[in-house]
Amino acid sequence: MESLSTDNEFENLYSYLKKISNRFVEEEDHLRIVVENEKLREVAEVLSKTEGVFLRTIAASDERSVNGFYKMYYVFGLDRIHRNIVVEVPLDAENPVIPSIADIVKAADWYEREAHDLIGIKFSGRILHRFVLPDDWPENVYPLRKDYTVQDLVKLYRPEIIAKAREVEAEAAIIIPIGPYHPALHEPEYFELYVRGEKVVGARYVGFMVHRGIEKLAESMKYDQVPFLAERICGICGYVHSTSYCQAVEKALKIHVPERAEYIRSIVLEIERIHSHLLWLGVALHLLGYDTGFMHVWRIREQVMILAEMLTGSRKTYGLNIVGGVRRDIDRDKVNKCVKVLDSIAKEFKEFVEIAMSVPQVKSRLRGTGLLPRNEAASLSLVGPTVRGSGIPRDVRRDYPYAAYKYIDFKPVVRTECDNMARTEVRVEEVFQSIELVKNFLDRLPGGGIAVDSWEPEPYRFGIGAVEAPRGEVIHVIVTGRYSPYRWRVRAPTYQNLPAVPIMLRDVDLADAPITIASIDPCFSCTDRALIINIEKSDVRDVPLVALSLKGSRLLR
Amino acid sequence: MEIQRQVPVEIFSRKDLEKALQRIKKSIWVFHLNTGSCNGCDIEIIDVLTPWFDVERFGIKLVASPRHADVVLLTGPITIKTFPRLVKALRAVPRPRLVLAIGSCAVGGNIWFNSYATLGGFPNVIDKLNELGIVIDKIVYVPGCPARPEAIIYGVAVMLGLVEQKTRYKKVKA
Repeated sequence: MESLSTDNEFENLYSYLKKISNRFVEEEDHLRIVVENEKLREVAEVLSKTEGVFLRTIAASDERSVNGFYKMYYVFGLDRIHRNIVVEVPLDAENPVIPSIADIVKAADWYEREAHDLIGIKFSGRILHRFVLPDDWPENVYPLRKDYTVQDLVKLYRPEIIAKAREVEAEAAIIIPIGPYHPALHEPEYFELYVRGEKVVGARYVGFMVHRGIEKLAESMKYDQVPFLAERICGICGYVHSTSYCQAVEKALKIHVPERAEYIRSIVLEIERIHSHLLWLGVALHLLGYDTGFMHVWRIREQVMILAEMLTGSRKTYGLNIVGGVRRDIDRDKVNKCVKVLDSIAKEFKEFVEIAMSVPQVKSRLRGTGLLPRNEAASLSLVGPTVRGSGIPRDVRRDYPYAAYKYIDFKPVVRTECDNMARTEVRVEEVFQSIELVKNFLDRLPGGGIAVDSWEPEPYRFGIGAVEAPRGEVIHVIVTGRYSPYRWRVRAPTYQNLPAVPIMLRDVDLADAPITIASIDPCFSCTDRALIINIEKSDVRDVPLVALSLKGSRLLR
Repeated sequence: MEIQRQVPVEIFSRKDLEKALQRIKKSIWVFHLNTGSCNGCDIEIIDVLTPWFDVERFGIKLVASPRHADVVLLTGPITIKTFPRLVKALRAVPRPRLVLAIGSCAVGGNIWFNSYATLGGFPNVIDKLNELGIVIDKIVYVPGCPARPEAIIYGVAVMLGLVEQKTRYKKVKA
């Protein structure tokens, strides 16, 4: 990593930021500046205009008991110099109002809605209704404020679910939607497509059915219990969440993880990526009606599951991470077996891809559909294979190297065609790349311990942990507490990528809609830690706005 | 618009259930219902249906509508938002209504047992379902986080009475 002084690409930006506020902290991986409320829009404007800066996440936090403020953390990433800029805005404890930046930085939209509902921060310049929580949630109760413990909330909120169930059943008219229970989707999620003839003119995502209150639960758990909670955010890419959480804590408390543990983490992360991409490819082929391919991919994938069980003790939800290292070692015997299995997977998969990708139906359905232009992908701060299929080489493994990726030379897979085929090719290519990476890591596996002996938590430190998940970048922001995390903010890749779906669906044939939605590899259990209703206003005119805003969440059918 | 939805609970005796189970021993159709699961169990269910475990050789088939289903495969801790849809889907299932609750979440809420946004597993909603006039004729719990494919197949076998049930579910007051 080059140091700041030798890199003058962003020097102007840095000097500007340091001029605007004299309260800043410079750390190894980020620059944290405290900005006054009035100057936020100006700073956001400058950051959004700078080439190569994108919004990674926003975290709102209730720190009244610490310093008497609510706080907003805006995390911007500078890919090329591997650093973050964290803009910190303290807000008045009595009346937390902050100017909205959603019109400057498009990607901020959802974050602001979520902060409004869960912490009760008001955004001037935007009218926000109840988006996140259920309809009958009590007024002026914000679950992520420190006034309430989980037990309080359970007592405070007694939902009238039986009445609600009767109401839903009595609804006479049903608009034919996709979801929430639909054979093509394996999770409760809901899309409404607006169609003119056979062309899709707009789409609306109404979801967040899988809100389980994770961030609040973590505040009542010990540091070492949270990785297991984090892993259960998602059953497909759970390990990235626990790794990301551990890295955030380690960064915040400056814990140095042994090299061997870093390698083991990377090996398991790559194995998870292989299984997830194979899973996605199977589902995508199934959506295209090529069920033979679906079955064959899943047959190949089963070997990866068995491999994961051998290395970690579980087929899924590995439970391998703790803060400061990992819990299980990999011995010589396992390394040899692992290499053998990987070789056989590579051979079988290569054979399979050659056949599957030459099927004319598959080719013609994928090529030219679901276009996501490069400039739109850049302005929405998209992540993962979705953005790499549009020609932007954004990959956390290269941009913000973590674990064992620090020690190797890594080149992300990029395609420039911007269509469904490009995103498929990126994933197929990444499977082979991951197999090579795992073999490389196994080969270089250093000796030594697998976890630090002991570490002491220190309250109110700030840390960012990011991992490249199969679907894109997962980023966790943590403010440490004395015994458990004070504030833990999770941002999953689908959260960032979903706003791209309406763009990709524009002028797509109805029959191609499912594969286009699937092409971002949506993972709703990750996203739905919070309940939000996203309404894509731009294209849809036929929907009455009143119904959307006030009764928005009731529109779920 | 007030629709009288209270359908009288039909009498469906133990004998009827046994008779019905006799009839559906082969080639059962299953419907997959995710009530806020993390996907772990769901991908294991698909695993069961694909070539490695291949339950289609027993005639077990995933169907798209609850109206066609013999057995409901239920995963997840049942979030408050999914409950109304769960009721709607379960009401569409014909009697005998058989539910296979898969994974620790469905069995007892798992790590979310005391969250403000979930109901904490299938046992907690049975009386609510009864109140709404939905009777579940037989429930089999398959624990595991995520439940293993072998366990899911075993669970179906227990459900149909092909193998003996080893343990029974006891509700413990926490």
